[in-house]
Amino acid sequence: MYVATHMKRSPLTVRLETTIAEAKALLGANNFRHLPVVDDHGRLLGMVTDRDLRSASPSSVVAGKTSQDELLRINHSPICEIMSWDVVYLTPTATLDDALILLDRQKVGALPVIDEAHTVIGIFSIRDLIGAYTKLFGLGERGSALVAVKADGKPRPLTRIVQVLEGLDIHFSRVVRKGSALPAACDETITIRVNTMNLRAVHQALAEAGFTLDPMLPLLSDTPHA
Amino acid sequence: MITYDTPTIMTSPFLFIDHPSYLNHDTGGGLHPEIPGRVNAIRQRLALDPLSSLVTIQPPNAINRIDLLSVHDESYLFRLEEACLCGQTSIDHSDNQISYDSFDVALWSASGGVSAIDQLERCQARGAFCGGRPPGHHAERSTALGFCFFNNVAIAARYWQKAYQRKKIFIVDWDAHHGNGIQSAFEDDPSVFYASVHEHPTFSFPGTGYADERGRDSGLGTILNIPLPPGANDAMLLEAICHKIYPAFAAFQPEALLVAAGFDGHRDDDMSGLLYSTEVYEKLGEIMRQWGQHCQGRVISILEGGYHLEALAASVEAYLMGITREQ
Repeated sequence: MYVATHMKRSPLTVRLETTIAEAKALLGANNFRHLPVVDDHGRLLGMVTDRDLRSASPSSVVAGKTSQDELLRINHSPICEIMSWDVVYLTPTATLDDALILLDRQKVGALPVIDEAHTVIGIFSIRDLIGAYTKLFGLGERGSALVAVKADGKPRPLTRIVQVLEGLDIHFSRVVRKGSALPAACDETITIRVNTMNLRAVHQALAEAGFTLDPMLPLLSDTPHA
Repeated sequence: MITYDTPTIMTSPFLFIDHPSYLNHDTGGGLHPEIPGRVNAIRQRLALDPLSSLVTIQPPNAINRIDLLSVHDESYLFRLEEACLCGQTSIDHSDNQISYDSFDVALWSASGGVSAIDQLERCQARGAFCGGRPPGHHAERSTALGFCFFNNVAIAARYWQKAYQRKKIFIVDWDAHHGNGIQSAFEDDPSVFYASVHEHPTFSFPGTGYADERGRDSGLGTILNIPLPPGANDAMLLEAICHKIYPAFAAFQPEALLVAAGFDGHRDDDMSGLLYSTEVYEKLGEIMRQWGQHCQGRVISILEGGYHLEALAASVEAYLMGITREQ
């Protein structure tokens, strides 16, 4: 659940005096989009992104010698002229939820991860977030199926569902419960990823415990009909 | 027009491969759906018209160990055999219930496809349906999964290539569940095309078979997955088969067709949320026969799932009526 488990460690960093041309080359060669800018001790000063670099370049619409001179001047400029100084960051103990909220709120593609001394120790991107949640949810792993149980309005539906599954010696990898009403509202659906193919046994045991199942039908407007 | 290897094959029977041992794989009773009763339900239909006059029941010859090793690791064979003989009740997961005889029965189940290929290639059959259990399409190289121990279809595909030099094999799988084991056996192999239409992996076991799984390395493009949402009906199945899988089949130009024939997408079967009718399986039979015309009639169907006994028997009957129908 922690960013430290899923971040890219020891990321490539640049200094204030790194030129824009050098930064462009680094991003291009490594297929990165974000470069943390650090001081002599590796402490975070800011970030430079491929968007910063593109925005700094003269418009391709303006052709001719003036444009080329301008491009030459920009390429030799240090990145401190275009980098973002006011950078939001993560710490190793930040959770995936922290990262999701920050990435969404800041509308950025990646965040640096720093330690207590403000030293950059990693970088965490939206791609890393997707990978982490994919792993956490067990997407693509073999051997499980989804069961959607309608809460019956009685207390402790999760406890009772877990008791049913444990009674069948069936493991599950994730539970999603929409809403937080206590006691559970009758229209609440709880979905569980169960590690079994024997859904008949699961369905029957849940029914015996008083639950009904949601067939999880999609809202189709253009379904072909037989 | 079907073109056959010899003119005599038209008079050859359509085989239903069956073996007495298929009843001996004991899954422990209780609520386990993969039970001997599945075979009994189908046998009862076979004894009656119209099937009794449409198909010829024949036992398989025993498979050679070398043909299992084309798909499974030898260490897995030893592990499975030992688990059965020493009285273990399951292997790799409690879904995969076993008994003393299960290893032998799984061998006979894998023997079905191989024997059917021999009969077809020797012009002693014009087609075949292998009615064995346990099923196979979830079994991986070294792992039992989803009631499956040996990957019967994958073993048959490799045998067809090796024994009869049929280089390009097309496998179509319309079991309600994705055949992860077949896919992993061939996902990097351009000589075998695997196409599956199944309930969407977000909902359904085993959680694989997303549409973006297309194969890898030199096999990229020879895997085709078509997930259907819960509640999908006959029209959605036939749309997938005829308009998505058929173009891939036609373009691949296979020399033989293997059908992973699962019947658990039936609306009465509680092992999936799909809502297929009995009648659609007759249509599938007709379609598989038509597709067979593109590979000189070389079509073999191998039973996978189907757990509602009455629906299974009726659906197998419908499928056999469709696939054996003369034009």
